[in-house]
Amino acid sequence: MKRAFITIIFAIGAFPFAALAQDKVIRVGVLMPISGPGSYFGVMGKEGIDLALEQVAKSNLNGYRLQVQYEDSACSPLQATNTVKRVLDQLKPHIVIGEECSDASLAIAPILEQAKVVQLNAGSVTMKLTESGYKYVFRIFPNAEQQSAPLVKVAREKLKAQTAVILYEKTNAGNDNAEGFEKPFVAAGGKVLAKIDFGRDVNDFTAIATRIASLGKVDVLPTFALEGQQVRLSQALAQAKVVKGGGGPGVQMGSIWLPFGYDQKAGQASVGYVRIVQFDPNEKRKVVQDFVKAFQAKYGADKTPTHINAHAFDTILLVAEAVRRGAKDSETIREQFTKFKDVEVTTGKISFDKKGQNSDLSVVHFVETQPDLSWKGMSWQ
Amino acid sequence: MIAAAPWLLGSAYWRGILVLCAMNVLLALSLNLVMGYTGQLNLGQSAFFGIGAYVSTILIKTYGWNFWLAAGAAVAAAGLVGVALAAFAVRLRGHYLAIASLGFAVITYQVLVNWESMTQGVRGIYGILAPVPDTVALFYLVAGLGLVVYFLLDNLVRSPVGDTLRAIREDEVSAAALGVNAAVWKAFAFGLGAAIAGLAGCFYPGFVGTLVPDAFGIVESFTMMAMVIVGGMGTMIGPVIGAVVLTFLPEVLRDFGELRLMIYGVALTLVVLFMPGGMVQAWASLKNKIA
Amino acid sequence: MTDLLTLVVQQSVNGVYLGCLYVMVALGLTLIYGVLNQINFAHADFVTVGAFTAFFTATRFATKALGMPDTGAYLLSLFAALGAGALLGWLVSAAVFAPLRRSGADELRPLIATIGVSVLLENGQLALFGPIPYQFDSPLGRQTIRMGSIFFSAQSALVVIVSVAAIAALYAFMRFSFMGKALRAVAQDRETAGLMGINENLVIALTIVIASALAGVAGALLGPVVVLTPFTGGSLIVKAFACVIIGGFGNMEGTIIAGLLVGIIEAFTVQYLGSGLIDLVVFAMLLLMLVIRPTGLIAERKEENV
Repeated sequence: MKRAFITIIFAIGAFPFAALAQDKVIRVGVLMPISGPGSYFGVMGKEGIDLALEQVAKSNLNGYRLQVQYEDSACSPLQATNTVKRVLDQLKPHIVIGEECSDASLAIAPILEQAKVVQLNAGSVTMKLTESGYKYVFRIFPNAEQQSAPLVKVAREKLKAQTAVILYEKTNAGNDNAEGFEKPFVAAGGKVLAKIDFGRDVNDFTAIATRIASLGKVDVLPTFALEGQQVRLSQALAQAKVVKGGGGPGVQMGSIWLPFGYDQKAGQASVGYVRIVQFDPNEKRKVVQDFVKAFQAKYGADKTPTHINAHAFDTILLVAEAVRRGAKDSETIREQFTKFKDVEVTTGKISFDKKGQNSDLSVVHFVETQPDLSWKGMSWQ
Repeated sequence: MIAAAPWLLGSAYWRGILVLCAMNVLLALSLNLVMGYTGQLNLGQSAFFGIGAYVSTILIKTYGWNFWLAAGAAVAAAGLVGVALAAFAVRLRGHYLAIASLGFAVITYQVLVNWESMTQGVRGIYGILAPVPDTVALFYLVAGLGLVVYFLLDNLVRSPVGDTLRAIREDEVSAAALGVNAAVWKAFAFGLGAAIAGLAGCFYPGFVGTLVPDAFGIVESFTMMAMVIVGGMGTMIGPVIGAVVLTFLPEVLRDFGELRLMIYGVALTLVVLFMPGGMVQAWASLKNKIA
Repeated sequence: MTDLLTLVVQQSVNGVYLGCLYVMVALGLTLIYGVLNQINFAHADFVTVGAFTAFFTATRFATKALGMPDTGAYLLSLFAALGAGALLGWLVSAAVFAPLRRSGADELRPLIATIGVSVLLENGQLALFGPIPYQFDSPLGRQTIRMGSIFFSAQSALVVIVSVAAIAALYAFMRFSFMGKALRAVAQDRETAGLMGINENLVIALTIVIASALAGVAGALLGPVVVLTPFTGGSLIVKAFACVIIGGFGNMEGTIIAGLLVGIIEAFTVQYLGSGLIDLVVFAMLLLMLVIRPTGLIAERKEENV
């Protein structure tokens, strides 16, 4: 049995030598949660990346091609650490895309930093990723402050909200977003009546909705949870007559957690929901429309891409763009990234700031769910 | 062979898996003491693993303790909690004990998640350093401890203490009739098992670098149990084999991508169905057939 | 809703409904334990399978292929889920429980085997259905029933009604039918039952099938009110276990009371403490139960033979 192990291990280890033998390859490691509940992100992320690889292969990359190795990091620091080491050993990547969950992304950052391999993150929210001084970390996903601060502004200025109840899932991402709303809201004179968190395994929200109903008049309810739970939550809130969708006074607010199509799933309960949208499949920009068409051609005409698909798609676009501008290894990819200004992708324009965070939020806009469940773009910003 | 392992598997990734394996061996041995030798159904071993991890990390990070002192305190803490659980559950047996231990594990997990001022909850603790900077050195350290624990336990089960524990496993009531104070010995077994699990826990955060409560849930308890059973419960070498197999199997299966866990589930079920004494027994009966 | 009485009543209503959810899942577990002395960890995954079966029957098959109206489609899906659960139960009984019983296994190995089955089912469904939540709408799902200031959704009312009906049916079966009596005989004393001519294996297999069918129906009922993914079962199982224990292993009445109790405690914990503490409270209660009254709320179990 020991011999079998060793043979298998050498077989796996021999793989990258075949790849290295060829010239002009950019090796991309992708760490996605493919198993466990986190696979919600991983499945969509993989769809986006697969599509992007197809497209990029047809374009001009100065003779280079992209070689991708997927690993299942299962949204956990242990798995992320193991798989990042595995990918570093086997693939010797120039860049690693990952992860989705904040814990996992933070876990691999120091390892990639030490290995001097670029980490391109398109799914985590935690401020710590770009506040820890890493030079090799880049993120195109809006961080917690970028997501929550505009919500506070709109809540106070446009919606004239005095009171808020913050609802969030009990994860790093939920916590960060909730705090990102609470601090500025209170600083601007608002009152947070309650901060209610719940685990990802909570299915029923009637008790929570009842509790909120007992708190008195709530003006806004910023919510940071995944779509499955938000559907049930909105429905419960509507039942309890807390939110507009149920005839109540409160306005649910959200950030880019919810994909297009959420409103149809939640039904009437989602009417009046005000949220930030970054990837909007209705946007007229050519990049977006091409992406939507290609996505539907590949995955089915009834599937509209979500922002998770889009962000993952964009990571490959950015790698390709860096290569076109002359990058050929980790250091040069990093260099190109720092120089990026207004690079256009489906989720907007990319300009990385000194910390590696994309600071261009020009396509981010507010929408409000209409009675016919469509989005109405609001001109706030 | 163990000493050569890190050099045979030359890459950082496999060396990391070796460290994980060594930790799992400690965990499996600890659970085997409680379940295999003393016959107590314990579904909550991951809680002690977690206590070891968190107590040591908090002492080091928040209070600036030295690693070995912190580890000592963590092991003691885990052991004490183990004794407490045994005392609490002293009259429970079989499935009742199983669920009590499960409940205990859930409660411990919830405390880790909710006591945010101490544990940071789901946010996690980052930037944790291992006691030795090199993965290979870490492996030798943990594996070395594993060997020490193995020999200690081996001697223990061969001694009259082992007989006492086995007596409790076979028939607690009769043992009591023979003058065995079952409660005291169960507490001993639980406490020692918990302490060993806590010891493994001291190395875990440093290895991963990040500490979150999710690593110490019910799934981990089940995995530990699977290691003991698949290897061969009630033997000394069984848990070691089980730990090695169940640490490497999911990693080797990574090439199967999405099917990985499904295969794992099937494998587990099949082993339990067809190899009751685990791999130890299967190996023994194979040898008999060949001989 | 600032009036305290209304609040208490509303949370109690929520609690009863939640409790019925748990009871539906826990009932099958308790049934299997009563007869087999075995814990089936895959039970919650049976519930998930039932939910998915119902979903696909209602939305794809019945409405599209057969062109049935929504209500009819949903009712059909309940039966489909029942069938799926029964089939799954029979498979697991034949493939896992029976062989282990024949080889004289102790309590532990079937437990681990069912863990393996659970992992297999969960990941199998993940591979088939993916992790993205499915939108299962029952015809009643979106309607709210209001009585004064108290509200509940029509689907929750359905959950309660069907749970009660299922419990009543099960009760009648156990008390009045021959098979039911045989089941109770086997539960009480397997050897003697065998000596009296009862085919234990048949009875045991039947029990598992019934329990799993119950799980399937539970899934069909829960589908429209929970977040439907392959992981749904896992989110319910631990609390279902708590109900089984608190109520007393193998004790149906106890399980029902325990389920309702857990549901109500959950609702009030959310109101006054915060939903993050639900598991803590429920399990603290469970541990307390085990110390004070290990045999459960309603002591029916015999003492273990010395």
